[in-house]
Amino acid sequence: MTRTHENSLRTYLLTRIALAVPTVLILLTMVFLLMRVAPGNPIQAALGGHVPQAQIQAREHRAGYDRPILTQYVEYLKDALTLNLGDSLTDHTPVTTIITDNGAATLELTIAAFFVAVVVGVSIGLVAGRWRDTPWDVGGRMFGIVIYAAPVFFLGFLAQLVFADLLGWLPVSGRASPEVTATLSQHTHLFLIDTLIDGDLNAFWDCFLHLILPAVTLGLVTSGVLIRLVRVNLMQTMKGDYVEAARARGVGERRVVIHHAFRNALVPVITVAGLQLALLLGGAILTEETFNWPGIGFQLVRYLNERDYIAVQGIITVFALAVVAVSVLIDLVNAFIDPRVRYS
Amino acid sequence: MSQVRRMGIAAALIAVLAAAVAGCGSSGGSSGVIIRGTTDEPVSYDPAGAYDLPSYDVIYAIYQNLMTIPAGQSTPVPEAAQKCEYTDNNNQTYQCTLKPDLKFTDGTPLTSKDVVFSFERNVKIAAPAGGSSLLANMKSVEAKGPNTVIFHLKAPDATWPFILTTGSAAIVPDTYPADKLQSSNNVIGSGRYALQSYQPGTQTVLTKSDSYTGSDPAKNDKVIIQYYKTSSDLALALKQGEVNIAYRSLSPTDLDSLKNQSGIQIVSGNGIEIRYLVFNEDLQPGATAAQKLAIRQAVAYTVDRQAIASKVYNDTVTPLYSMVPQGLKYATEPFKSMYGASPDVAKAKQVLQQAGIKTPVPLEIWYTPSHYGPVSADEYAEIKSQLDDSGLFNVTLKSTEWNQYSTAAFTDKYPIYQLGWFPDYPDADDYTASFYSKDSFLNDHYSNPEMEKLLAQEKASTNDTERAKAFSQIQDIGAKDAPTIPIWQGKQVAAAQDDIHGIELTFDPSFIFRYWLISKG
Amino acid sequence: MSSIGEIPGTAAPQSPEAEIKTEGPGGVRRLIRQIRSARGVPKWILYSGIAIVLFFLILAIFAPLIAPYGFAQSSSGGVDFPKQAPPSGAHLFGTTVQSTDVLSRVIWGARTEIEVVIVAVFFSLSIGVPLGLLSGYVGGKLDRGLVLVMDALFAFPYLLLAIVIAFLLSDKLGQGIITAAVAITIVYIPQYFRVVRNHVISVREEPYVEAARALGAKRRTIIGRYVFFNVIQNVPVVATLNAADAILTLAALGFLGYGIQPTQAAEWGYDVQRAISDAGAGIWWTGLFPGLAIVLLVTGFTLVGEGLNDILNPLIRYRRVRKPEIPGASPEADK
Repeated sequence: MTRTHENSLRTYLLTRIALAVPTVLILLTMVFLLMRVAPGNPIQAALGGHVPQAQIQAREHRAGYDRPILTQYVEYLKDALTLNLGDSLTDHTPVTTIITDNGAATLELTIAAFFVAVVVGVSIGLVAGRWRDTPWDVGGRMFGIVIYAAPVFFLGFLAQLVFADLLGWLPVSGRASPEVTATLSQHTHLFLIDTLIDGDLNAFWDCFLHLILPAVTLGLVTSGVLIRLVRVNLMQTMKGDYVEAARARGVGERRVVIHHAFRNALVPVITVAGLQLALLLGGAILTEETFNWPGIGFQLVRYLNERDYIAVQGIITVFALAVVAVSVLIDLVNAFIDPRVRYS
Repeated sequence: MSQVRRMGIAAALIAVLAAAVAGCGSSGGSSGVIIRGTTDEPVSYDPAGAYDLPSYDVIYAIYQNLMTIPAGQSTPVPEAAQKCEYTDNNNQTYQCTLKPDLKFTDGTPLTSKDVVFSFERNVKIAAPAGGSSLLANMKSVEAKGPNTVIFHLKAPDATWPFILTTGSAAIVPDTYPADKLQSSNNVIGSGRYALQSYQPGTQTVLTKSDSYTGSDPAKNDKVIIQYYKTSSDLALALKQGEVNIAYRSLSPTDLDSLKNQSGIQIVSGNGIEIRYLVFNEDLQPGATAAQKLAIRQAVAYTVDRQAIASKVYNDTVTPLYSMVPQGLKYATEPFKSMYGASPDVAKAKQVLQQAGIKTPVPLEIWYTPSHYGPVSADEYAEIKSQLDDSGLFNVTLKSTEWNQYSTAAFTDKYPIYQLGWFPDYPDADDYTASFYSKDSFLNDHYSNPEMEKLLAQEKASTNDTERAKAFSQIQDIGAKDAPTIPIWQGKQVAAAQDDIHGIELTFDPSFIFRYWLISKG
Repeated sequence: MSSIGEIPGTAAPQSPEAEIKTEGPGGVRRLIRQIRSARGVPKWILYSGIAIVLFFLILAIFAPLIAPYGFAQSSSGGVDFPKQAPPSGAHLFGTTVQSTDVLSRVIWGARTEIEVVIVAVFFSLSIGVPLGLLSGYVGGKLDRGLVLVMDALFAFPYLLLAIVIAFLLSDKLGQGIITAAVAITIVYIPQYFRVVRNHVISVREEPYVEAARALGAKRRTIIGRYVFFNVIQNVPVVATLNAADAILTLAALGFLGYGIQPTQAAEWGYDVQRAISDAGAGIWWTGLFPGLAIVLLVTGFTLVGEGLNDILNPLIRYRRVRKPEIPGASPEADK
């Protein structure tokens, strides 16, 4: 790398990180406002309908819910930035435990779904883009469009109907059956890996069966987006200059397609796929709700319903930081590959 | 071997493997392990931090109380105590003598100082979701020697023995923190089970305790409580053998589909969970108190409880004609005698005419879509069509989710709204004073001095006849004034695999789900 | 779950061949001309998408005339509807657990979806596009500030944002159509902002814009006349794809229970949620039809968006190249 090359990369890195800071602050403020402005609090949720309002208000006062908003805001910022996430208000679980345990569940689901999405999406997208406007292309595109149009919970409904109810093959909720969950030793909290570490094949199979439906459902829906992307990228790449150059050099059509077009079509897909990963984490809420998968999205909805500020704030804070980190990382990778980006 | 051949063999192998493992599906646990699925989730396993049924479920299993309500009965008897009684004439001093040689599961002995500690810390911590309000009448508690505990009450209270049976009165070791809650996965009690693990949102695991010496030792070795998000997930888990028992809460649709399933039995018992309609007397329609009363009475005449019970709930609930549900001592049915068992639209019309009210009366009725079960939406759609079809009312239905609902309902925002009630303890006082007193949490601006007098009477007396008379009058007045209109009381219903026994034994008004009575095989 | 800004062809094009040469308001006319002259697969995609959307629009507008019953109607002529009855002559799509007619709920649901989507897209557009125009053209502190806020909004999990906003508003406005529409609006404003802003930035340096500036044209004129009509080309594609996404978001809200309550209007997502408990009992009609309706309408909007993209996006549009006529050789048909 040349000197200027290095310098510009470093400048870009610093600028990018510097820009991330206000983004994080804005996100945290948004989270705080949204949670505190929403009516109700955990005390109200637990005791409303059972205990007189005056008593509830007394307890709220003791718990500090009626302190001035500004005080609470400053305290929240302090805690968030030192990653002192506290314990959840409703079931007193340390927020970091919630994130590690349930985050692992979401990670497992996301990775499996991503795998399905890539396999299905890339293969169909390549076929569709390569043989443009043939029945393969139209069929592939239609599949991608329709599968993306199907809400995850509708696919879940159909899956339940067919696989669980009619055929009885697959379970539709949880990560593993109750007994396996009780006897599992949690090393990484990724069940498939943990069962392999323990050498318990029965448990591994049980966990795998539970993973199939949620991962395939989420993966199929995501593949819809990938199909579109891969197809368009492939078509653009195939018109690109270097492909023409290869053709001009007399390289066979097949080699042109496979070596140049396919490979280069995948590069932007990888960066977009990285972003999709972040979106998948957020979009996993629906899948986890549909399939009772105890991941981060699932817990988030639970705590949101109970107005558990601490838990929700903690989860969203970590999530927001993760998303910002991922996007900075991706920008850096882009900047490393494509110098033009650094100077924009 | 050719490529194709190899792939073919690989495919065949995979198919065989799949078939083999699919064949050995869930066996629902080995014998001695009971797996119960539920959609209820607990809040805390520290008695000072819990005031909800799912938490109580586990608390009853891992701790002991001074008093308990035995299966199938309705009055408290000593459990950790040998004897408990009032030692003064005005029911303000209550003394308990502990059984000897009680131990916690970590081997330490249970003595009076643990009992005193349990009650004092509960009141001190006053956890937001805890039941310290139940102990409001306790002025102080003291230990006299290692085996005696004395409660000094602020006011005469006949219900104190009942309060001692609730989950909030469970006995904890004095190693718990005095000023904050013990973490739920690290709890120690002296009960029939010890807590092995707790994963919020997933499961709780209990194992039989060898150091328990009391009555009814556990008939199983391990209990797994698995949490499900929806009733249909729970029903499916039962069908697939992932759980042995599905209890709380199965929707009427799922219960119906399970009824016809081979290998599954439906067990039901009398329950005392109720649903009712509340009228905020400041906000409800009506220009004068007399008109408002007339409107309430007209609604009481028009509501068709039987239709709701059969159409909406498939008879998993029964019509309720008093705020005190059947199965409790002192329960009467004044709404039946005053308004009839079935709707009487003519009478309703008459009442409205006499009060000079123009029909149809516009009514704004609120309900909450998930806290009381998703069937609430169906229930209130049915109520609306009943009231509208009579020609006397014009109902607008509104709903918000629980958090906002529970704040708004009691701060004068809703004129008429849905509410449910779970007993703290199975005594008629819990179903009357809570609603009819002028300080009621309902904040519905209802107040009747006669009612106040009667409530004070029943609370102070331990005399059966006196209380019976007071409660009968209380319920009558409640029906005449109708500040609230009872709609239904729910049965306790569980679905279980055929080889599970003992559920029917534990279905009684105390709502204690006695895991120790359940056996498999 | 879409990353609209990442769809190729809608982001600011980087290669010279992608310049959209246009002279001011003629841009709109050019747009229509391009659509008219579309041929082949893109044309069919666009037209079938339009057909589907039109079908649902008709359902939505004429719901009171087309639907056999009301969306909360559980009896007719004094006779109660059966509960959870399978499809039959009387109820073509069967009935629900509340004894309402599934077919009617699907038709009324179309009205709800269309209403919410139109309101949401309209508001997102009217806020996002002008902000993007302004920010892109003016630049400076305003631009940087807006970009920060929009990026933060964009980074926020879209569904979560919608849920919390629905929470907040349902206290004041009840859980009805306006609440859902506003929640969705706020989620999608950043999309329009980004797309428009990126395009404005690339167009800003165009010679004709520089020329206008040099000639002393007012900023307002430049933005209004030249930049706007140029940039607006991208918006229909983004708008239709956003409409598709908005329906999914609305259904998701309904599924989670934060959307429109059944007392206010029929909504497909809510119906699927209630139907999931039916699936366990083998009752398939309460969930299948509303679900298919969602799939169909979203597909319709997506097809329109994809079709438009195919036609308008120069990066992947067919170049209608006429093969040169070589005297003596046999003439070949145009591609």
